[in-house]
Amino acid sequence: MLAVLQLCDSALPTGAFAHSLGLETYIDDGTVGDEPGFLAWVRHCLHHQVVPAEGWAVRAVATAADDDAVWRADDLLAAQALPVQIRDAASAMGRRMAEIGAENFPSPRLTAYADRLRAGTSRGSPAVAFALVGADLGVAWEHLAGAYLFSTVTSLTQNAVRGIPIGQNAGQRVLRALHDDVARGVGRIGRMADDEFGATSPGLEIAQMRHAWQRARMFMS
Amino acid sequence: MTVAAAAAPTGRLALTLAPRGRRTVAVRQFHEGALRVLRPHHLDGSGQPCFVVVNPGGGYLGGDRYELDVVVEAAGTALVTTQSATKVYRTPAAPARQDVRFALGPGAVLEYLPDQLIAYQDADYVQSTTVSMDPSARLVAGEVVTPGWAPDGTVFRYRSVVLRTEVVMDGRTVVLDNLRLRPGEDAVAELGFLEGRTHLGSLLVVDPRVDRALVEQVHELLAAAEQRLPGLRCGVSELPVPGLVVRVLGPGSEELTELLLDVSALLRAQWTGQGRVALRKY
Repeated sequence: MLAVLQLCDSALPTGAFAHSLGLETYIDDGTVGDEPGFLAWVRHCLHHQVVPAEGWAVRAVATAADDDAVWRADDLLAAQALPVQIRDAASAMGRRMAEIGAENFPSPRLTAYADRLRAGTSRGSPAVAFALVGADLGVAWEHLAGAYLFSTVTSLTQNAVRGIPIGQNAGQRVLRALHDDVARGVGRIGRMADDEFGATSPGLEIAQMRHAWQRARMFMS
Repeated sequence: MTVAAAAAPTGRLALTLAPRGRRTVAVRQFHEGALRVLRPHHLDGSGQPCFVVVNPGGGYLGGDRYELDVVVEAAGTALVTTQSATKVYRTPAAPARQDVRFALGPGAVLEYLPDQLIAYQDADYVQSTTVSMDPSARLVAGEVVTPGWAPDGTVFRYRSVVLRTEVVMDGRTVVLDNLRLRPGEDAVAELGFLEGRTHLGSLLVVDPRVDRALVEQVHELLAAAEQRLPGLRCGVSELPVPGLVVRVLGPGSEELTELLLDVSALLRAQWTGQGRVALRKY
């Protein structure tokens, strides 16, 4: 439990503060500019990108029968992230999460994963590294997936507080409103057929692609 | 996945293409049921044949399953298109389904530019495309999805359109594009989906020669198109393997089809010297 809290803490130095996952494109073009606008956006991002990709991967990795199933989940995450900045964000954060995990919660599989990231045989995802730590500590995949989803929307909300900006209290209201969304996301992950993996909405992907050409950026994605 | 999956396909077409002298020809060809191919023709002097896939039934119905297999052997080249739009009618019991499998050998080229997809009211369509390719091969695959058709003229009245494309190299999945538009469940016209536009276009390009400079050129082409066509919104990105993907939202299938052909023309000019694809359709 404390290990999960530590790895989900927004102060964990994975660099999540530097990634808006396309939010900055919407802020820049005026689509998202206040608390209701951000809540609508973050809900969309959660259900139409995070849940069917990284959320699914947390379950796949936490319940993996063998190492190959873990490496395959990492391959699939890299393959479905079509906007380059989203792949680079996952890769950078995945390396950091794997290093922090290997140093503080070592296990043979996590060490092997960190080795693969260093060798370049796997691309890296924070969801994979996080699920490896959690599963090794005996935490059920449902709890891991819920914690992972909530920590992702927490980082995005903190970025919205700085980037839009919205007030700190508005940020907390958004997070409270997302509790049911996270529960719904975990429920869907439990029922998800494999062919739903990586389903992402086109408008969000386009915004994430356009971010690479945006001027005066505050975030790396 | 569905009950119909166990039955014989509604239509099946399998082509194996290989170079013979200066031209690529069909060395094996098989069809059964409601899927055929016209005799190949040549749009230019490059030796690349153009195969037009025909659905004599005119449209897809519930429970229908179509299978298209195209193998392009080493150094072969082909352009595959359709005779008309893919129309999916009401599918009350089971979705209509199309399974597409491409296999590209070393140095092979496949340009797959089908007509737009039109899903009618209450239609449910699943298209699954698997591309196994040598890292030296080239794939250019386009897709345009319309908002469908309903008797009262309203848009997005279909139930679900799923277009899943997986590119495999050396047994590893390297690109996975999973597009799911489900107007019954999601607000597909809104934020994050089509964002007020009606049509969606996509072009997937996998080729070892794609680099940052080419992606910049495609970006410039798309930015110029946005200046020209109000309502157009485009994105382009490098893929996890050398290649690029273009996504466009816009007002109509003709505009998006032309734009994707413009991008393909830019690639052709650099790579083969072939001109813009000019499909003669009537």
